[in-house]
Amino acid sequence: MKKIICLALAMMMLLALCACGEKKEEAPAAPEAVTFTMGIDAEYPPFSYIDDNGEYAGFDVEVCRAACEKLGWNFEVFAVNWDEKLVQLDADECDCVWSGMTILDSMKEAGYVLSAPYYDSTQVMLVKSDSGFASSADLAGKDVAVQLGTSGEALLADDGDLADLAATFNNVITCDSFLKCFTELDGGAVDAVFVDMPVATAYAAENEGFTVLNENLGAEQYGIAFRSGDSEMCAAIEGAVAELVKDGTYAKIAENYPDIINNLLFIN
Amino acid sequence: MTLWTMVIKMSEGFGKTCAIFFLTLIFALPLGMVVALLRKSKNKIISNSVRFIISVLRGTPLMLQLLAVTYGPYYLFDISVSRNKLIPVVIAFSINYAAYFAEIYRGGIESISVGQYEAAEVLGYTRAQTFMRIILPQVIKRILPSVTNEIVTLVKDTSMAFTVSYQEMFTIGKQIANSQTSFLPFVVAGVFYFVFNAAVDFVMGKTEKMLDYYQ
Repeated sequence: MKKIICLALAMMMLLALCACGEKKEEAPAAPEAVTFTMGIDAEYPPFSYIDDNGEYAGFDVEVCRAACEKLGWNFEVFAVNWDEKLVQLDADECDCVWSGMTILDSMKEAGYVLSAPYYDSTQVMLVKSDSGFASSADLAGKDVAVQLGTSGEALLADDGDLADLAATFNNVITCDSFLKCFTELDGGAVDAVFVDMPVATAYAAENEGFTVLNENLGAEQYGIAFRSGDSEMCAAIEGAVAELVKDGTYAKIAENYPDIINNLLFIN
Repeated sequence: MTLWTMVIKMSEGFGKTCAIFFLTLIFALPLGMVVALLRKSKNKIISNSVRFIISVLRGTPLMLQLLAVTYGPYYLFDISVSRNKLIPVVIAFSINYAAYFAEIYRGGIESISVGQYEAAEVLGYTRAQTFMRIILPQVIKRILPSVTNEIVTLVKDTSMAFTVSYQEMFTIGKQIANSQTSFLPFVVAGVFYFVFNAAVDFVMGKTEKMLDYYQ
């Protein structure tokens, strides 16, 4: 019976592997009456989230909506499951992933079409203000939380760029959402959370007693991912965004998001 | 976001939760019986292969099965992913729950003593008549508590549909929770599930009472 279960599990995993490897060419969509479905992580303020009225909002959502208006495309939002965003992109459920997404070399290697970066981000440590930690060096022997599937997790992994730093920690704990990371920190279960800067600054601004330690760890850039073969679509979106920058709409949208405005590449 | 907006948003998702729940029951309850009967088949090839399928379905996480059913056809056969996520979700839930129901049914069927079959044969009942008129009514009575167990679990398992971005109640709750950095949506979700399960409990309790005609 064990063998049977092993076999079945192996088959399932093989399937999942196929899901990662395969790519296929897509016929480019006709230019008129296009419906552009934007894939977002609905849990990633201030880039994409659910606002007080229960509607999708955020910097990326607003820019994409404006870009689609420029292009005369119908605009739709699809909330992806972040761990499987690229599978869902491949499966045609959305036309791009545009949600404060870090451009990774692995995405380029896998053949995805990536837009020019639009945001400079770094990873920061969020700690409690009264903890006395002043740098990541103080966190030696402490517990650090990180969100599953984020670039922070990749950086701290055994083969990541910050593996040496991670080795000084007592434990790296992965949570499946930022809220859980922050709650673990607030509740004293971990000593620091390693997250993208905008998320940390937004949280520290809203909640008292937290400090952001910015040491330029893991500098990275955000971009938009399209399926391989969708370079025309990517160019169209990039063109529309460039127009938005030119006519000032982009800056106007950005003003609503003071936490991230200083790191937007197109207006700084 | 006010609590009221939260509840409204999540109750929109609750409709989808209910859709998964009822459709899964409609398909899985009869399918389970078919599987149970095949599992008891005298043909060794049939019974063993069904046994293997059941052990795969019970031995792998439901989350994995959801992924396999939703994205498997696309990657293996290039069949496009269904726009309506309810279809793959209900298929995955139905086959998974049918496996569990099948084993519950089998337990019930095997709990009936051989003497009853012999008596029925003496009285000239055919095998189909024996099963439908004598065995099945007793089986249903006996397995009802275990079936209720599974149904209650199903209510809570619907939250798994988030894996494939089906916007059911818990998925929306999670999104609101992380967007608003608040745990309140999880409390709301808990209340939704509890109230729904209380209703399930009530209905199943009534059904058990109704079938309790020999006591």
